[in-house]
Amino acid sequence: MKRFSLLLVLCPSLWAADPVESDFYKITTFETPKETALEVGSIDLMPDGKLALGTRRGEIWIVSGAGSSDPSNVSYKLFASGLHEVLGIAYNPKDRNLYATTRYEITRLKDVDGDGRADVFENVNDSWGVSGDYHEYALGSRFDKAGDLWVTLCLTGSFSSQVPFRGWALRIQPDGTMVPACSGIRSPGGVGFDADGEVYYCDNQGPWHGSCTLQHLVPGSFQGHPGGNVWYDRAPNMGPRPSDPVPEAFQGDRGRKEARPGGDPGRMVKERESIPQLLPPAVYLVHGKIGNSASAIICDLSGGKFGPFAKQLFIADQSHSNLSRVYLETINGIKQGVVFPFRSGFASGIIGGRMDEEGRVFVGGSDRGWGARGGKPYCFEKCEWTGKTPFEVHEMHAKPDGFEVTFTQPVDPATAGDLKSYSMREFTYAYREQYGGDEIDEVLPAISAAKVAEDGKSVRLTISPLTKGHVHELHLDGIRSTEGLPLLHKVGYYTLNEIPK
Amino acid sequence: MIRPLIFLLLAALPSHAAETAVFTLKTMTAQMKYDTAELHASPGQPVKILFENGDDLPHNLVFCQPGTDTAAMALKQMENPEAALKRNWLPDDPRIWAHSKMLNPHEKEEITFTAPEKPGTYPYVCTFPGHALTMRGELKIAPVGGGLEDLRFALYLGSWKQLPDFSKLTPHREGKVDDNLIHVKLDDYKNEFGVVFTGKLTAPKKGSYRFFLASDDGARILVDGKEVVNADGIHPASDIKEKALLLEKGDHEFRLEYFQAAGNIELYTAWKGADFQTTPLSKWLHPDWKGGGKKKQDFAPIPLVVRDEPVIYRNFIQGAGNRGIGVGYPGGINIAWSAESMNLSLLWRGAFIDASRHWNSRGGGHQAPLGYDVIKPTGEVTPAFFVTDKPDAEWPKWDPKNGLRHEGFAWKGYSLDAKRFPTFRYTWNEAEIEESYTAEGDGNKPGGAPTLIRTVKITGPLPANAWFRLAAGPVEARDAAFVLKGATSCRITAAGAQITGQNLVIPAKPGTLTITYQWAQ
Repeated sequence: MKRFSLLLVLCPSLWAADPVESDFYKITTFETPKETALEVGSIDLMPDGKLALGTRRGEIWIVSGAGSSDPSNVSYKLFASGLHEVLGIAYNPKDRNLYATTRYEITRLKDVDGDGRADVFENVNDSWGVSGDYHEYALGSRFDKAGDLWVTLCLTGSFSSQVPFRGWALRIQPDGTMVPACSGIRSPGGVGFDADGEVYYCDNQGPWHGSCTLQHLVPGSFQGHPGGNVWYDRAPNMGPRPSDPVPEAFQGDRGRKEARPGGDPGRMVKERESIPQLLPPAVYLVHGKIGNSASAIICDLSGGKFGPFAKQLFIADQSHSNLSRVYLETINGIKQGVVFPFRSGFASGIIGGRMDEEGRVFVGGSDRGWGARGGKPYCFEKCEWTGKTPFEVHEMHAKPDGFEVTFTQPVDPATAGDLKSYSMREFTYAYREQYGGDEIDEVLPAISAAKVAEDGKSVRLTISPLTKGHVHELHLDGIRSTEGLPLLHKVGYYTLNEIPK
Repeated sequence: MIRPLIFLLLAALPSHAAETAVFTLKTMTAQMKYDTAELHASPGQPVKILFENGDDLPHNLVFCQPGTDTAAMALKQMENPEAALKRNWLPDDPRIWAHSKMLNPHEKEEITFTAPEKPGTYPYVCTFPGHALTMRGELKIAPVGGGLEDLRFALYLGSWKQLPDFSKLTPHREGKVDDNLIHVKLDDYKNEFGVVFTGKLTAPKKGSYRFFLASDDGARILVDGKEVVNADGIHPASDIKEKALLLEKGDHEFRLEYFQAAGNIELYTAWKGADFQTTPLSKWLHPDWKGGGKKKQDFAPIPLVVRDEPVIYRNFIQGAGNRGIGVGYPGGINIAWSAESMNLSLLWRGAFIDASRHWNSRGGGHQAPLGYDVIKPTGEVTPAFFVTDKPDAEWPKWDPKNGLRHEGFAWKGYSLDAKRFPTFRYTWNEAEIEESYTAEGDGNKPGGAPTLIRTVKITGPLPANAWFRLAAGPVEARDAAFVLKGATSCRITAAGAQITGQNLVIPAKPGTLTITYQWAQ
């Protein structure tokens, strides 16, 4: 793709070069401390423009100068080491301490003598089980609006729950008390908040997950993988244990490696009818197209300093080394929305990410264990808006008879009003015990109207049929801006959990 | 798949009995091990070993006859240590047939010998006192097996994602392979072709034979028309596939099918019998071959080096449960504390720990200490405190399956003092416990008299019949101390300690316990 654009640049008399992502969002790669492999697992902001980085090697580094326009101003100080994988880091402005989520506990780190190195490591909470299995990662959040920390716990081997609360999201209150919050987690990649402070996590493709997903952590909900539901007797606040999806598959032996007897597996939209606690993914991060290994959730609270996508979410991906962009809305009481590709080309697999008030997105990660497109074993980078506004879909809203699509720049009414500029495909995934799954139950709906708003900033599409529970893949290949430019990203995937009434 | 081809050509080496087998064998720093535990040679083959002592202790390399109990042989020297010292700790034993000098730290020596004519497993060992239990390996002598005969190739052109049915295709070219070694000629076609090799293989007797195959892209081996090993599909040649097969004595039809889609071209195959070592049937050898087909998952070590302040490593440490806290103290003395059992799990000397298992790949599994003389005073993940009217009884055992923790204990964390020495804190029922450690002597040197001093401060009420256990196992009182016997014995002192059954215990009371642990010399 890049090479193609380059070719075009070489013959400017014939073509104007199509814009590319780097015209709008610039990636800066920082040098990292020589004495370590800075496999960033988590990032939070500290006072005075500093950052705290937690790493997979169990270190916490305090970074200064990363916000500077000159990347050589960055400097690092080792705050703590020897922790068991820091996949969550949170700065608490109330007590001015850092809180690290590690494999087996949330640790409060204090620097009592003020020498810049932690000297007190207090166990805040360690009430979940860990068995030595490689996959039992613990991914922690920053502090939520109630002052709680969230920790999402991967299943044992990412398949079953051999020790307490594997496959759960737990809420750790300021006094250290643990409250079980959600069941049904499989293999979390990161926990984050939207602009309203609602909590989300990313799950990864596997059993009961046809694709990576962005999921809304509504307390009391069941997020889809029944493996951890054996611990409901330890979570009386959660009410009765949900009935298992497609019981015959669940009761079977995972090791049998046979197709589930009894034919077609279930669908999320169908199982929701019989399992009231089951909350479908807010957005399918369509496997192989958006990413492969969803991780950090980064909300744009910079008020426009990161470009036109204020309050939207940016989802990092380890294996694709990219960020995608999510717009969410609440329809019939639950979250759903659309995901677009946003920026690729990070140097390694992205695991941790955080935006500062100036709209600078700091990301970092490593390719360890699963490989990543970036090519480097680990990285720490910054992604900034160049100040140029890309021509992109801004938001996509579900309507009872179609979608409303808004744009970052006015559209050319001729192309935007032309039905041939659009195409849509709808599909879903089986909700099944086997690993992953294809895009199935394809529907090719008819787009019968494309009405361009007077200000040219939105188009109202009339589409039939809409399919509840399906991903609605919208292509906008023919659309041009008033300047004649195509969209920077021409396809988005809207997860239609609910059709607006 | 994109590794440069030149690398493969460098890895090509013929294996003939007449050529000298050259090995480099090193001692590992502070681990009481050689870096190689297995060497291979053919009967009567000239052998050259570059022996390097990278450790801080003296070591030698002594080859013995098959079946020698090398540990007993080395230990026997202690019956007359003066005489043994004069011989520089080389046992006077007729079963020794080759040996190096006793190398001082950081010395090297080149030793040469002719491999024994008789096939078998010849142990090698370091005979310096106390080293033989772990510092050992085996020299395996086996003849090289026979190769392919009448080897022919048939080249096919086509684009495949897996092996096609070659029987339905017409070869583009056919011919004889003069050196009877399977390889893909790189001057032919670079992409989108397949080759079928056919030849004759002779089994010297009826028995089990193992075939090895690694290829980029897909390949499979058929013997007498039956598939033995399958490595089909598009992939790099990193995995060596292997499978054993029962063969009658005599000639067998060997067929290897291979295809190349795009990218790198690699093809390696070999076989092994009960009476002969792994013998290549291909011109190229796999970079990881080393005489066997075992899949290797060795990472370059990442030893955590302890300098002037303690190093902490919280991770899965073998013998310390799943909430292990390793501490390497300056001076070659190390512990693993368990936040699972709230107790000291292990102490050892020498090097601290190798992080490569957890800092490569996905981070699972339990890592054993890197050093040596590992002592596990009270067994696996048991608490120190226990309420019992029978202190000679069993202490609670840990059940890792359901993730239950020992009742009444709560982990609080640790703080570091000005020298960065940790104090661990936990509660047991109403009592608050603080545990800290200091180290004396030098654990890296023989005669360094390494000593670990453990201080346990107990505040608050304790239940009646509360006991603190220091050690479990065969313990005996000796010279105002207690000796915990084991592979490595440990000398323990603590005021008020008493032996009861297999337990060394102290009645638990508020106050401070001071316990010392010394490695018995």
